[in-house]
Amino acid sequence: MRKEWEYLLDGVQKPARYTGGELGSAMKDKAQIKVRYAFCFPDSYEIGMSHLGMKILYGLVNERKDAWCERVFAPWVDMEEKMRANGVPLYALESGDPISEFDLIGFTLQYELSYSNVLNMLDLAGVPLRSRDRTALTPLVIGGGPCACNPEPLADFFDIFLPGEGEEVTNELIDLLIAHKEKGSTKLEFLRDAAKIEGVYVPAFYDVSYHTDGTLQAVTPKETAPTKVKKRVIADLDSVYFPKQFVVPFVDVVHDRAVAEVFRGCIRGCRFCQAGFIYRPIREKSSDTVNRQAKALCDSTGYDEISLCSLSTSDYSEVETLLPQLLSWAPDEKINVSLPSLRVDNFSESLMEELKKVRKSGLTFAPEAGTQRLRDAINKNVTEEEVLSTAAQAFRGGWTSVKLYFMMGLPTETLEDVAGIAELAQKVVNEFYHNPDKPKGKGVTVSVSVASFVPKPFTPFQWEPQDTMEQLAEKQKYLMENVHSGKIRVSWHQPHTSFLEGVFARGDRKLCDVLEEAWKRGCKFDGWDEFFRFDAWMQAFEACGVDPAFYANRRRDFSELLPWEHLDYGIRRAFLAEENRKAHESVTSPNCRQKCSACGAARLNGGHCDAIQ
Amino acid sequence: MQFNEVRVFFTKTGMAKYISHLDLMRCMTRALRRAQIPLWYTEGYNPHLFMTFARPLPLGVESLCESMDIRLVGEMTFREIKTRLNDALPRDITVVSVAKPAHKPTEIAFADYEIQLYTDDPAALLQAMETRFAADTLPVLKKAKQGKRRVEKETDIKLNILTFALAQQDDGVTLTVRVTAGDQNNVSPALLLDALTANAPVAVKHTDILKRRVLLENGEAFC
Repeated sequence: MRKEWEYLLDGVQKPARYTGGELGSAMKDKAQIKVRYAFCFPDSYEIGMSHLGMKILYGLVNERKDAWCERVFAPWVDMEEKMRANGVPLYALESGDPISEFDLIGFTLQYELSYSNVLNMLDLAGVPLRSRDRTALTPLVIGGGPCACNPEPLADFFDIFLPGEGEEVTNELIDLLIAHKEKGSTKLEFLRDAAKIEGVYVPAFYDVSYHTDGTLQAVTPKETAPTKVKKRVIADLDSVYFPKQFVVPFVDVVHDRAVAEVFRGCIRGCRFCQAGFIYRPIREKSSDTVNRQAKALCDSTGYDEISLCSLSTSDYSEVETLLPQLLSWAPDEKINVSLPSLRVDNFSESLMEELKKVRKSGLTFAPEAGTQRLRDAINKNVTEEEVLSTAAQAFRGGWTSVKLYFMMGLPTETLEDVAGIAELAQKVVNEFYHNPDKPKGKGVTVSVSVASFVPKPFTPFQWEPQDTMEQLAEKQKYLMENVHSGKIRVSWHQPHTSFLEGVFARGDRKLCDVLEEAWKRGCKFDGWDEFFRFDAWMQAFEACGVDPAFYANRRRDFSELLPWEHLDYGIRRAFLAEENRKAHESVTSPNCRQKCSACGAARLNGGHCDAIQ
Repeated sequence: MQFNEVRVFFTKTGMAKYISHLDLMRCMTRALRRAQIPLWYTEGYNPHLFMTFARPLPLGVESLCESMDIRLVGEMTFREIKTRLNDALPRDITVVSVAKPAHKPTEIAFADYEIQLYTDDPAALLQAMETRFAADTLPVLKKAKQGKRRVEKETDIKLNILTFALAQQDDGVTLTVRVTAGDQNNVSPALLLDALTANAPVAVKHTDILKRRVLLENGEAFC
């Protein structure tokens, strides 16, 4: 017998996004299952199915006999319209069952602009949005991922946040929930026990008070909640669970390939980069582990591409061992090896030789800023000479297109720094024409991508004002006036979306009402230009009496209590403040392998960090 | 390089009907790789698996008679290929047989379909479809291209229908039909239904379309 919703698929775009049944999807007998977990990615199937974290946790939960994890994505607008018109609630792809029947509804919070989709998905599921309106023990709405480092703008909607890495705490939470379901506990009884688990943040167990100027006065724990919730850290990446199988999608998704994670954390300490701080300390897998996991995934999925995954992959201490290992079998099996995240400065001649053996795609460098002074201020320890010599090396190797990533609106930035972006791009173009062996009849393309800088929690710039949209528009105009070559293509983010991202990144609980109001006004898929409705968002701020500039464009005093400071990511506040001070003096800090700056992250890992030899 | 051409017959049913042709090709490529069947790769700059399908199946249609041709470069029995592929394929795609190709895909002339049309008033729908079919011509607007322009032109498909049977059910109408198929005179089930349900006084809520067989000009099975 067909489910009624199946016929909705007849007129929608890419219906295979909604069918389930992909290779590697987990089917289970409901009678054996004690906890059902709906893992929700609040964006389209194509984006969500590209996400490694979901694949890890999906496989991890489904290793258990007593739990079943299923996938849920935000249906595209045509499908949502049909579902609402026909009274079909949001369902999970494996069983096709409504997620309102599940025990855990888990959202991965990857970026701020997906928050409106979280509310929309809960509503489409028929689940009350606010935690206090869900009085039964289940479904529990939980959240994790990078944005869980400041989940305050979502605090009223979630029962639990899980800051940090999920491999251990997910199983601990499921065990606890099974015990409480069997006892017939209330939601409060369960949450009291859950809050005792390290890495479990129950937002309802904290009272928040504000000063008259709107800044935070105090965050006071109650019930069983700790004063500070420590994020979870996996100590040993060689022994932690990693999937041997991925769900292999039918439709073409953004990253449709096998992925091998090589390490977590980053040694660089670029001051703008949140990922570089919140994933510390550095923990590496051995090259044997990576190679074994990569091979197993290629065998089980049939993928013809394997990608190494980490921040700044060329910083992997065993990269020169790993590449020959991978290349000993991958090309024979017609498998491409791709390294997405390489840095300019340690892009060695021998690495280049290895890379030549795999498919030639575009080369991407991220100088991030146009002048050395500003690169020093943000601690992006790359010099112009390094960029140019690597570009020259790449051009000698036959590459004809180079992508350069920059940011605009960085703290201390001046128009001189903006013009520097155009100048650096021009020098890369010139480098191509200086190459005596340049391929005949081929031109060069230098693509310059300019993102707007958004200050984020747990970075040295967490106190900084974000450039206003007007300032950014002016800088973009100035940049274009300084680009004089047709070989340079410039693209940038919409300053409106960056502004909203900035508001929510450093927001507090007062934004919960704004978010719900914006969602009621039709906001969803805010990360998609075609759906982003800035006017509706501004009306929502107005209706709630909240000034978005308070969050985005205000400089915080070092003495101010920040909305995320009851979460402990290991990084010391004094370290971040010192890095901020150095930024304003354009003084760099050494990377973690050169000299440990005692950021504090290793404290959450028994004092251990792989960057400290 | 020496290779043996092999034809794989498979069914694509259930939710797999929503897998587009392009997605099916990718899915098959991966299944063939997982199954570790010794296959011939093209020898260009960017080698890829050689694989060709008899005819693309429209999105939303289930089929019991799909086929694809692959090129074997090592020894492997047909039975082994079938077993390995079935282990490597997702739920709703199943290999039914593997054989040496007997006919060219261009020899395909007819296809048999079984179609369920769901409606609130089966009798009225049946009557309307019978009336349409009983007329001398069965005109339908067919989408076509004139140069780069997309146009709709009226075509008569009466002569493209070889056998035709309707049966009334509790919740709709069952249509069993043989139509011309192939590169020249292909009549897709969607076009056929457009023609038959034009002027119907009741709405068709949804349809299940099953492609049962593909046949040659002489009425023998394509194999």
